[in-house]
Amino acid sequence: MIPRRIRAELAHRFAGGLALLVLVVAVAWVLARAFGVVGGTANVPLFIVVTLNGLTLAALYFIVASGFTLIFGLMRVVNMAHGSLYLLGGYIGLRLVEHRVNYWLALVLAALAIGVVGLVMQQVFLRWNQGQDLRQALITIAISVVLADQMIPTFGAAAVAIKAPDGLNSAVRFGLYDIRYPTFRLVVLGLAVLIGVSLWYGIQHTRFGMIIRAGVDDRAMTSALGVNVQAVLAVTFFVGALLAGLGGVLGGTMIALAPGQDASFLLSSLVVVIVGGMGSLAGALFGALALGLVAQLSGVYLPAGYTNFSILLTFALLVFVLAVRPIGLFGRR
Amino acid sequence: MTLVGTRGEWGTWAVAIGLGLVVAACGNSTSTSAASTIKVGIMTTCGGPFAAFEQESFSGAKYALIQGAGGKAKGTASQDGVTGASVSGHPIEISFGCTDASPDKALAEARRLVQNVGVDILLGPLSGDEGIALANYAKQQPNKTFVNGTSAAQQTTLSVKAPNFFRYGGDGAQWMAGLGTYAYQTLHWRNVAILGEDYSYPWTQAAGFIGEFCPAGGKIAKRIWIPLGTTDWASAVAQLPSNIDGFLLLTGGTDTVAVEKEYSTRGGNLATHMLGGSSVMDPTSFTVGKPLSGLAGGSPVPLGSTDSAWTSYVNGLESVYPADPKGSLAGSLFTGLYYNGMSAIIQGLKQVNGDLSGNQSKLQQALSGLTLSAPNGSLKLDANRNAIITNYIVQIVGDGSLGFKVVKTVPGVDQTFHGFFGPTSSPARDSPSC
Repeated sequence: MIPRRIRAELAHRFAGGLALLVLVVAVAWVLARAFGVVGGTANVPLFIVVTLNGLTLAALYFIVASGFTLIFGLMRVVNMAHGSLYLLGGYIGLRLVEHRVNYWLALVLAALAIGVVGLVMQQVFLRWNQGQDLRQALITIAISVVLADQMIPTFGAAAVAIKAPDGLNSAVRFGLYDIRYPTFRLVVLGLAVLIGVSLWYGIQHTRFGMIIRAGVDDRAMTSALGVNVQAVLAVTFFVGALLAGLGGVLGGTMIALAPGQDASFLLSSLVVVIVGGMGSLAGALFGALALGLVAQLSGVYLPAGYTNFSILLTFALLVFVLAVRPIGLFGRR
Repeated sequence: MTLVGTRGEWGTWAVAIGLGLVVAACGNSTSTSAASTIKVGIMTTCGGPFAAFEQESFSGAKYALIQGAGGKAKGTASQDGVTGASVSGHPIEISFGCTDASPDKALAEARRLVQNVGVDILLGPLSGDEGIALANYAKQQPNKTFVNGTSAAQQTTLSVKAPNFFRYGGDGAQWMAGLGTYAYQTLHWRNVAILGEDYSYPWTQAAGFIGEFCPAGGKIAKRIWIPLGTTDWASAVAQLPSNIDGFLLLTGGTDTVAVEKEYSTRGGNLATHMLGGSSVMDPTSFTVGKPLSGLAGGSPVPLGSTDSAWTSYVNGLESVYPADPKGSLAGSLFTGLYYNGMSAIIQGLKQVNGDLSGNQSKLQQALSGLTLSAPNGSLKLDANRNAIITNYIVQIVGDGSLGFKVVKTVPGVDQTFHGFFGPTSSPARDSPSC
């Protein structure tokens, strides 16, 4: 009889091995299809464009989900209104651009406005419920329902798109296979890298980041050491919400804004942080990459007749990670 | 999340009660029972990918009550009711139902309206798969009458054909009549790709296009079907082959905007390289702007027509439900066909003096034989209770503010395309072949 601990270890290793195997097979399959080894002729330009689509979509997911994971990491608040903040930010940006405000100024203003909305939300509704996860989750669900209903009469139910600034409104040529690629998606990719690096630097190399990390590990102890935890929480919520608003404007320019996207971006943020590990910035990065690439590549490279399962596959990814590593790729117990 | 002790239990109760409240809040019913009141349910999509069409479909149905049954609008919001409507002395009371374009939600809403609210007649639904589900449900409720909204899957009336389900708008294939010929003869396209959402209505629309384009000698290079609910359509657009003359877009609402934006940003010309399905030709996509100017597509309503039947309908509707810009609410097939559906109900009820006895058999007989002079032409039902329609090729025009004009009129379009389609060959991803 094998002891239970070893059996669990073996099962865990088996699951890990299986996950790795599936990953290797999936990558091999995509490459084989892209370069024409199986299933018809090679189409390298398509592969490049779809991979870029995956990366740029991942960039958008990362911007939104990094705010989500920041708030969760420090405050243990699963902010179910995060998607609503995304959509509201997009709509505010849209209105500003429509009123001839410079695009970049509109982006900053909309993000700041959503930061303030988040701050008010935290101070008015969440502060006095600290530590009561379920109650806070319910409150944020209520806020998201109210916001969703109010946004339809205010901004309309039709899909709308924010106009990209002149010059970024078109496509760039790579001089490679005659590919033309939308410039703005590349801008979003660049911004995501910038935001990721700033967040990483802020958290790892500043005093405030040190306090945040200390707060994540042991909030009571941090408070006992004389840190004004309330102020830290408020700033964190402000930044987290701000990132959602920023994502909203970028997403509204890159794709479109419409009712229902609040729910879909909340869902993708949840998937990203569950895959990556709740509260981890690196986790948000890898989670976003996994989700973006799987979503885009599966729609094209699943065997013909099965491409309609591409949406399911993103959830298969979630199930797989949870089965192999329930705390997420970069999660800490 | 761990639940500890009594507080945890309270938490669980709070979740349960909260969910209950959410479910209760989703239904919007106005139900009081008077002896001779006739209850009509109107059902459309208020959430999901086609949420944008809620205002259009409800406004169309309500305007028919105002214009044909002496009602008065309570307000201009999409779920503001209509008061004082009556037919032959019977007051008409309306209840709204909301779905998200999924067949299970449509069925649940239909059950709520028919079995709980107790509507006599149900107008709706909006989307293809919903319509198939509802036509099947209609068979279980033979003493109620179902009039279709805009759902346009072919099999709803060609193979399910419930005896108490009536469709005055025709199906998605009929709405494409003339477009295949237009692509082949006017645009000289020979090699075409189809890009659309992956469900019955776009498949039906593709069938209507193929039904003309392929017998004429055209080829379909590729059919790309993307699941409903996909947010980012960039990779769908990337899959369009480079050696085609053009592509046919079969999407609605948010998805249309996503594709048109992506295609034009990458340097594609929408006006010369794309044709639109009927839901693509909708004012809700005008946010894409100038690149749309010149885009043509098939539609069951004469968008932008200067014909007096159409213009008086557009002006009448928008005098009750103002739209910005003018014409954008009435200039939609969803408004027009919900208006037609409700008009047919009113006309049918008038013919039988509001008599719903005998399991509504008199009303159903009247509806079957009805000739409806609608803003989009004169409509009559075939033996399967599906309309023989006049179809239109319409084009988006304008520079600053966009609008429509009619390019071509195709009269007498029946569901079988003069025998091309039959009850056993439902349109699917790869069918009909080309």
